[in-house]
Amino acid sequence: MSTHGVREDHFAVLGVERRYDLDAGALEARYKELSRKLHPDRFAKADPRARRAALQRTVQLNEAWRALKEPLKRAEYLLELGGVKLATDDGGARSGGVAAPQELLMEILELREELGEARAAHDDAKVARMGEAMRARAAAAAERVAQGLTGAVTSEGLEAVARELVALRYYRRFLDEVSAHDEAREGAAHG
Amino acid sequence: MAEALFQISEPGQARVKAPCTPGFSRAVGIDLGTTNSLVAMVQNGKPVCLVDDGGDALLPSVVHYAPDGDVIVGAIARDRFAPVFPADTIASVKRFMGRGPRDAEATRKLTPYAFAPSAETEGVVRFAVAGGRAVTPLEVSAEVLRVLKARAELALGAPLEGAVITVPAYFDDGQRQATRDAGRLAGLEVLRLLNEPTAAALAYGLDKGAEGTYAVFDLGGGTFDVSILKLEAGVFEVKATGGDSALGGDDFDRAIAGALLAGLGLPADAGGDRKLTRRVLDAARALKERLTDADEASLELDVGGRSATVRLTRAELEPLVRPVLDRCAPAVRRALKDAGLEARELSGVILVGGATRMPLVRRFVHELFGRDPLGDIDPDQVVALGAAVQADILAGEGNRDDVLLLDVVPLSLGLETMGGVVEKLIHRNTTVPCGATQTFTTYADKQTGFDLHVVQGERELVGECRSLARFKLGGIPPMPAGLARLEVTFMVDADGILRVMAREQTTGREASIQVKPSYGLAEGEVERMLLESYAHADEDVKARLLAEQQVEAKRILAALDGAMADSPELLGDEDRAAIAVARAALEAKASGADANAIRLAVEDLDRASKPFAERRMNRALERGLRGKDVDTALAHAEHKHG
Repeated sequence: MSTHGVREDHFAVLGVERRYDLDAGALEARYKELSRKLHPDRFAKADPRARRAALQRTVQLNEAWRALKEPLKRAEYLLELGGVKLATDDGGARSGGVAAPQELLMEILELREELGEARAAHDDAKVARMGEAMRARAAAAAERVAQGLTGAVTSEGLEAVARELVALRYYRRFLDEVSAHDEAREGAAHG
Repeated sequence: MAEALFQISEPGQARVKAPCTPGFSRAVGIDLGTTNSLVAMVQNGKPVCLVDDGGDALLPSVVHYAPDGDVIVGAIARDRFAPVFPADTIASVKRFMGRGPRDAEATRKLTPYAFAPSAETEGVVRFAVAGGRAVTPLEVSAEVLRVLKARAELALGAPLEGAVITVPAYFDDGQRQATRDAGRLAGLEVLRLLNEPTAAALAYGLDKGAEGTYAVFDLGGGTFDVSILKLEAGVFEVKATGGDSALGGDDFDRAIAGALLAGLGLPADAGGDRKLTRRVLDAARALKERLTDADEASLELDVGGRSATVRLTRAELEPLVRPVLDRCAPAVRRALKDAGLEARELSGVILVGGATRMPLVRRFVHELFGRDPLGDIDPDQVVALGAAVQADILAGEGNRDDVLLLDVVPLSLGLETMGGVVEKLIHRNTTVPCGATQTFTTYADKQTGFDLHVVQGERELVGECRSLARFKLGGIPPMPAGLARLEVTFMVDADGILRVMAREQTTGREASIQVKPSYGLAEGEVERMLLESYAHADEDVKARLLAEQQVEAKRILAALDGAMADSPELLGDEDRAAIAVARAALEAKASGADANAIRLAVEDLDRASKPFAERRMNRALERGLRGKDVDTALAHAEHKHG
């Protein structure tokens, strides 16, 4: 993560309120409006200093847009601003952030083993079923993140959201494996 | 330094406003293609492809190097010189851009080129061409660009202010830098490198008023790209891109050529015969092109002196190229996934590149996307037209403030860390310009320097990614492991070109580099080439080479006359007629001042008299076997030069 001391936060760069429930369409329109103004292409004929400034501001704008456009990344960023750190993937508890509980790790590990067996056995129906169940679980977690970040937020509330977000990482990795299976299957069907 | 050199190459280029055709943009768009290149310019608000004297917009990207230092570009190089001087005539050079001598393209078996030996294992590919020269892909490309530049300046009636050059979206950093340097070498101010699919979308979006999300399927001579773009209120936002920078129509040709060679009972590498390789590849391309409209095509192929008829039906063609085409499918699926879309959510599919004319390719696109592609703009011209629009916007002359392109990084950028693992700093499909900063630390006590290895690619291990550059940050005071803090910043500009900065935080030591590709040119080499290119037109050298060619022509004419007088019984009527035509042509050229024309005429006569020469050779051998002195007999029979 790039954390420079005096930088504007991503919400300020985009000129929007610091909150979770932003309107996706309005946010995108705002990003494009700012791009039109700041993009280096607007300064192709300007002096080098103006070009450099345009480059820097657009880099900052693109970074802000990347951090805020997807709700879950926006949630992670809000936590970061609120001083709640998520554990890094490999660091676990050692990195000091909020980590996934041991029982969740065990459960996911078992589910992934089961998924691996279904893939190896070419049991497409089972892979699809497991994917469906996990998608529902991820959607519910995302919903709880949204609720946790809407309205008045306490520090306990942030911790709860952080746990959901950490869990969501594991759910997504599981779903990636389901997509990998679908892709491999499609590839075989076309090839 | 670069700016100073520009002033040498184009005095006052960007400063003095010379009178030019009113309504014409002073900046052009150039599609530097694998097979053909084009230049387009906005004229009175509309992009137009510029044509040559013969009315052709397409300039074949083929460059011939003559022994006297002359460089011939285009259709003549392709049709006239490539068959006769395959090693001195470079086609499809784009496939070698930013590539090293060990890359797949430079190590193919079926190749008409000769490669100059390279001192190190890393470095740039060099072609060994006539006159003992070794040219880099960058220089070859610059020759194509020079011709297009001249064409544009003729149309404009004034020097150009700049150019937008297109590159495949999937070009990596090294390939982009090589392209930008080629533009510089050609004396162009490169306003922007623009991704080809984005250019195509720009042409469609403005011309057809398209809105929505489109896929651009771009299958050119040497590269395949797929991009997913959202077009909305003048903003062209690339959502995802994918492809293969070494997959294109050339690979179809190679697959067809392989089948032709097998059908003729010849080895897969054509026995290392460069001329045969060139002819078979050309025959494959010609058959493929004819089979776009016809169900069956045939042509005569000269195989070692005898003519063979090669025939191909569309039904035979398709299974040959289908395996190559299938390699496009995973990239398409991944691009859709990266964009978070299903194929049915697209508003349309835009076709780009000559290879998309093939009925098989259109069917394939239909299968992949479940819809018929759009093809209302000529797929050969659409990229150049879009580039011209972007050039017009950047030159700030058009009234197109409402248009903006938002492009992405095609391949992830990262650094090598412990154990050869890649730490990605910028992920693929991140909108440019963009930056990222990451902090690293020392892993050994008293480590006084950091070796930074910059790589590009999606794989986790360094060995499987493309190495972009290595540099070192030294002078760090000895500390225990893990105490030094190295902050590395990657910055990618709107051309997609990377700059890396490194700073050790406890000491404040800094290092900053414009990434020089590992498989690129050494520092300062482009500048040296720029200077050399002026000293190149050496009239003395030309005069000497002309004299040599004239002497050579006389020698060959005399030797042939002698041989014909000596063994008239070995000459058929057909031989006599063919030799007479070629002989007369050479005699006519030999007194002229065009060394290349003489050289071509010599080759023609050589070919016409080849059957006769072979018969004389055989007879000499027979006589030799009957006890005569073989050397004398052979020397007597040999009327060929060299």
